Amino acid sequence: MEFTPVLHAEWIKIRTLRSLLGSLAAVLLVTTAFSALAVADADGSDPLYSVFFGVSLGQIAAIAFGTTAVSAEFRGGALRLTLSAAPDRLRWFAAKAAAIALPVLAVGLLTGLATLLVGKSVLGASGPAWGEGLRGAVGCALQLTLMALFAAGLAAVLRSGVATLSVLIPFLLIVSFVIGDLSGGVADFLPDRAGQVALHSTWDGALGPWTGLAVTALWSVAALLAGAWSLRRRDA
Amino acid sequence: MTSIDVRDLSKEYGGRRAVDQLTFSVRPGRVTGFLGPNGAGKSTTMRLVLGLDRPTSGTATIGGHPYAALREPLRRVGALLDARAAHGSRTARDHLRALAASNRIPDRRVDTVLEETGLAQVARRRVRTYSLGMRQRLGIAAALLGDPEVVLLDEPANGLDPEGIVWIRTLLRRLAREGRTVLVSSHLMGETAAFADHLVILGRGRLLADTPVQEFIHARVRPHVRIRTSEPSALDDLLARHGLDASPDPDGSRTVWHTRVDDIGRLMSGAGLPVLELTAREATLEEAYLDLTAAEAEFTAPPQEA
Repeated sequence: MEFTPVLHAEWIKIRTLRSLLGSLAAVLLVTTAFSALAVADADGSDPLYSVFFGVSLGQIAAIAFGTTAVSAEFRGGALRLTLSAAPDRLRWFAAKAAAIALPVLAVGLLTGLATLLVGKSVLGASGPAWGEGLRGAVGCALQLTLMALFAAGLAAVLRSGVATLSVLIPFLLIVSFVIGDLSGGVADFLPDRAGQVALHSTWDGALGPWTGLAVTALWSVAALLAGAWSLRRRDA
Repeated sequence: MTSIDVRDLSKEYGGRRAVDQLTFSVRPGRVTGFLGPNGAGKSTTMRLVLGLDRPTSGTATIGGHPYAALREPLRRVGALLDARAAHGSRTARDHLRALAASNRIPDRRVDTVLEETGLAQVARRRVRTYSLGMRQRLGIAAALLGDPEVVLLDEPANGLDPEGIVWIRTLLRRLAREGRTVLVSSHLMGETAAFADHLVILGRGRLLADTPVQEFIHARVRPHVRIRTSEPSALDDLLARHGLDASPDPDGSRTVWHTRVDDIGRLMSGAGLPVLELTAREATLEEAYLDLTAAEAEFTAPPQEA
């Protein structure tokens, strides 16, 4: 089995499901809309984060995308049909992950640039510099992609979209927003917090923008490996 | 040619043997009916053949290779396992196009199989709007997509209307005539008798029979003739004189075993007996199957769970 035809098939599956296209659109809309709101209310202490504030909510749409793309395979024996066409499970899962990552990365870059342009035009001179702003835009795209992959891996382990989202969304909303803001240290290494360092003008934790993204990437890789392991080991 | 070969195949789920030491082959050029009550292990066996489930022991190969070793498997093997496999929010055409792309099957095959299964008119509708029969046809379209030499269909007639059942019967006969290897599971006897040449019968995961349909029926069910006459006692004398084994039915008619209408007709005509009814009773697959399962029950322990 070659990789490209399987990737092609997975890409067709993604672009022919409205709910998936909807979550991709939501990544762009939610991130830019909430960023715009935050920018309008900015106090100037962290200009980059006020520009990219929306990512913390946009990543929920990215998670929904990654989850749905995988969990659709666990309904009504769909995975059996998929694997009868592509019996190499690891190759198939790699194709699935690529078909998830590439569109989110593209939409994420678009989102990052759009958000940056909105932010800079509102904030003017008090906004982030271009260099810092572009780092934020790339960080935004990577963070969204990594969160989608993290969700995809978890969905392959849990074999259910509902289960995956009911783990991840409360985790993001409660753990991150409430506990994360209070305590430093360990919370900084949680997948959504670590990567978001790249969206701040300044940081004082153990992680910088790129090391933070690397930590999130480790979470995503771990989730994908767990998903691949579960897929390989269990009956379809 | 391509056969499916199952050798000593077993599959346990949590200590329960769904498939137990199964050995049989499915040969090309004929339709093999895969029979057994629900839970006999038919679907499990099909999943094992397709490499979807991992056997506890034994092997299942297609043309000598395990399924997972096939390159672009849809071009060799087509399967319908579950009509719900297509996502409700996708159109039938998009569903098949994704499947085709994974095995580099050209899009025109998608249109061909949609035409062949009678779905061309509704191909751009979402699968959610389909009836069970239409989903079943879509599943069959997916199985035929790669023009495969081997076709496995799990209960393909589920949800089909009478017209659909005639259609699938014709389709299965044609696939076999074209020299393909066709394995079709069912728990409906009448339906299977209408299309199968050969039978593989399972009961509680074990092989009960692997035999041509006609042979199976004739070995299991004695042919018999039903006679009604206005002079039953004269008939009994006549039958006894010719050493024929007859049993009276409650309505006064007689059932005669091991004979044919041709012989009885001549006999009665010669004796000048009035004939009110003379019917050959064709043995059915259902009778043969029930006879087999009754025989099995004699030397198998009753199931533990009620």
